[in-house]
Amino acid sequence: MSTATQPNPLAEGLHDYRVADPSIMVIFGATGDLSSKKLLPAVYNLAKQRLLPAGFAVMGAAIDDLSDDAFRKRAADAISQHSRTQPIDQTVLHAFLSEAFYQKVDFGKPDDFKALHRRLDELDSSRHTAGNRIYYCATPPPTYETIVEQLKTAAMTTGPGFHRIVVEKPFGSDLKSARELNKIVQRVFHEDSVYRIDHYLGKETVQNILAFRFANTIFEPVWNSNLIDSVQITAAEELGVEMRGAYYDKAGTLRDIVQNHALQLLALTAMEPPVAFDANAVRDEKVKVLRAIRPLAEDEVAHATVRGQYTKGWVLGERVVGYREEHAIAQGSLTETFAALRLFVDSWRWAGVPFYIRAGKRLPKRATEIRIAFKRPPHLTFGRAAAADLEPNAITLRIQPEEGISLRFGAKVPSAGIKLRSVTMDFDYASSFLVETPEAYERLLLDCMIGDPTLFTRADEVEAAWTLIDPIEAAWRDDRPQLQFYEAGTWGPPGAAKLLQADGREWHRP
Amino acid sequence: MPQAQPGLDWHGEDVTIADVLSALNRVRLGFAHAEAGDEGLPHPRNCVMTLVSVTPNSVEETRAILASTAIARQHPSLAIVVRDEPRVRAGRIDASVMVHPVDQQNHPAPCELVVLRVQGAAGSHLAGLVDPLLVSGVPVYMWWLGTPPFGSAELNDSLRICDALVVDSSRFNRPYNAFLELAEIAQKSHPHLGLGDLQWERLAPWRENTAQFFSPAERRHLLSGVGEIGIDYAGEGRGNRVGAALLAGWLASSLGWKLQRAAGGGGGVVAAIYQADGWRPVQIAFRSVTKGHVMPGEVSALRIAGTSAGQSFTLTIQRDPERARRAPGAMFADLHQSGGEDDAGIELAQRRAAQHLIVQEQNREALHHTATGEAPGEGIPSRPKVIVSERRRADTSDVLLTMITIGDSETLRHVQRVPPEDEASILQRVLFMGARDKVFNRSLIAAAELLRSI
Repeated sequence: MSTATQPNPLAEGLHDYRVADPSIMVIFGATGDLSSKKLLPAVYNLAKQRLLPAGFAVMGAAIDDLSDDAFRKRAADAISQHSRTQPIDQTVLHAFLSEAFYQKVDFGKPDDFKALHRRLDELDSSRHTAGNRIYYCATPPPTYETIVEQLKTAAMTTGPGFHRIVVEKPFGSDLKSARELNKIVQRVFHEDSVYRIDHYLGKETVQNILAFRFANTIFEPVWNSNLIDSVQITAAEELGVEMRGAYYDKAGTLRDIVQNHALQLLALTAMEPPVAFDANAVRDEKVKVLRAIRPLAEDEVAHATVRGQYTKGWVLGERVVGYREEHAIAQGSLTETFAALRLFVDSWRWAGVPFYIRAGKRLPKRATEIRIAFKRPPHLTFGRAAAADLEPNAITLRIQPEEGISLRFGAKVPSAGIKLRSVTMDFDYASSFLVETPEAYERLLLDCMIGDPTLFTRADEVEAAWTLIDPIEAAWRDDRPQLQFYEAGTWGPPGAAKLLQADGREWHRP
Repeated sequence: MPQAQPGLDWHGEDVTIADVLSALNRVRLGFAHAEAGDEGLPHPRNCVMTLVSVTPNSVEETRAILASTAIARQHPSLAIVVRDEPRVRAGRIDASVMVHPVDQQNHPAPCELVVLRVQGAAGSHLAGLVDPLLVSGVPVYMWWLGTPPFGSAELNDSLRICDALVVDSSRFNRPYNAFLELAEIAQKSHPHLGLGDLQWERLAPWRENTAQFFSPAERRHLLSGVGEIGIDYAGEGRGNRVGAALLAGWLASSLGWKLQRAAGGGGGVVAAIYQADGWRPVQIAFRSVTKGHVMPGEVSALRIAGTSAGQSFTLTIQRDPERARRAPGAMFADLHQSGGEDDAGIELAQRRAAQHLIVQEQNREALHHTATGEAPGEGIPSRPKVIVSERRRADTSDVLLTMITIGDSETLRHVQRVPPEDEASILQRVLFMGARDKVFNRSLIAAAELLRSI
């Protein structure tokens, strides 16, 4: 074995991120919104946390004709305005900007890519980045094809070092478009070098679901249809569509949240133990679950799903307008802002256990959680009266806002005689570990720099999810079931409650 | 800052630990009811750890209270601060108990603080005092401020009840000797006992930048070409070399180098020869460099140079030389000059400065007594004053400059800010993984080997 492939002995005991290889991150669309609001501030915050290796550089690439200094000026403004940490540390900002460069690139012009290539090569020798590249497409999906093709033509995806490409969700708008997109990217990049970024997966608690299930002996034996009654997945937002009206009105909650976030949470909850916590083992198991979800036939969609849209109401003490009054929403729009689904995973482990998913905007609060409800004990030892207040056991995995896990179990009420009630044991992620949890987006950027794609979505995952969503989407466009309305600030339309009532259950209140 | 709630705090003088325990239970119960949830049912109690801080005097006691309540404010825990004064002849225990809600979203969780002031023989039975108060089933960390009494029965007993011992080797009274004794604990103690050092944690940025330099696969071969290492530290005398020795020990133990010989010279210079890969000599040299912004004992520069496969390289990490800063804690340094590189002189000077602080504290109490008519030692403070507002010292902020030269290429400069950190944040990082750090343990042992051989 050569020394190069052995682990770095000096890295032992240090966080992986502290020893990432230096690289150049090329941001296509560097002057756009995504870059200004999220990407540049995130990279600045990484620099502030001393997580960027010596030599790391950012190369902005966009249509605007800017000098390095003009780009730095813009970047400084963007960071000052949008950084999550304030005030801005001028020393860090100054150091970061000295590592930022700009090259005008018209995506249609091969010569511009050649010029970009030359700049990158020059930087390689001065910054010791060894040809390592991260191409970040902070541009609308229709441009991906051109960018990818141009990179190939300019021979920018081969040679020494690694060449990774990052694309943001949405990964297509249905199965067909997702497949096309995957095909385009995979023509040039190996799937292992494609990083489909979905910031939800960067959240610590999402990964903690796996740790909770597979690093403990006491939960996995009960994690099946013998003892679990049902699973509820809630992804609630108090926000409306904000400035994303034009996009949202075309997408709707099913595509915007359910297709990716909610199904990912379902997959992590239901997956079999992977043989290792490595990128492909974890993603293989997730894909198996997605494929095991029983597809809803078109006639089933009407009674196994609910679609809703918010009307005006009150959220967090403020009066808000209805969806159709929001900015850039088509008149009389039928787009859903709330979706509820009942799904089944057809596997030995999950036979007969319903998975209820609900996601929506303008719900009473922001809360994402997974609720595992267990069956009642087979025999009521203490009698019906004593156990009247006793709820079945439940485990709640909270993803946001307050990451944590709680376990509900029965206990005797202290008094003469026997009376039981449920109590809750609570684990709060932030307070149990004596450090701040990393910001999801920054964490994913770092994962990409060190080359760990575990928390990024693989092509087959995207396609499996769309396979499931497409028939639902088709029936919904056909107005089956009918769109129901709910007042902003409530937990969705009446149909959502009825969906569970029909099964003798009710939604858990997050 | 936790607001005192009437009836929830307790203070007792000349008490037993049984009194403290029953007061703690009473105060906890009061808190559970005062913070009852929506349904009027007491909220379940949360506790992630017990942090026992052992302090030799009131100055350190205040530091311990500040740091442990700052941690408890974010992480519901039990903080026990012991002011251990076994040499005071009239034995007695004074204690106070406070339970305050900490700022947890939606969930009021308790920050519990028990302060024990132990005078007389009871102090040498520390484990027996603390054990009954511990929360069952959660880890116990013992933070020893000042210098632990290495080799004493008191310390050995204490280590039996805790999961980890945390010290700050940069604040030891006799830094050289105490550091060697700390290394002995690492060598001898039970493998399940964690060992943490705030000084080691402060060296993290140096380790990160060094490791990062060798991280790319194509640079890994440079490791086997390292020929020279230079470390600059501030202050003279062997006690000030501990930080530099830790860095050297880390490199040597990580890369499997064996110490061949070492020698010390005038001006704080140290030269050591290690043997790498069974034959290749590596030279490590320390020198004492006086800089206005670097405290005695702190590392100010690290330089690693060598040649591998015909390619020469240099990695230099240094504190930004432009910056000037006031040396923290040097309040009395000008009154007590250390007198060159004489170890005894340095230690004497440090002890005098520490004594000065204690005397100042006592004077404060006496002044209070004069002003209020309260009996000495009683008036201030009847229960410890908890100030948990951010007390970050602006002057601990540093800028690190890393310079990389490989072959003939131009030097790459990389600037980082090491943000100001208070004791509580550094302590939190040490405790993050339960103060179990085998890299620290081996670096500590290797550093001690080097220091002993000079």
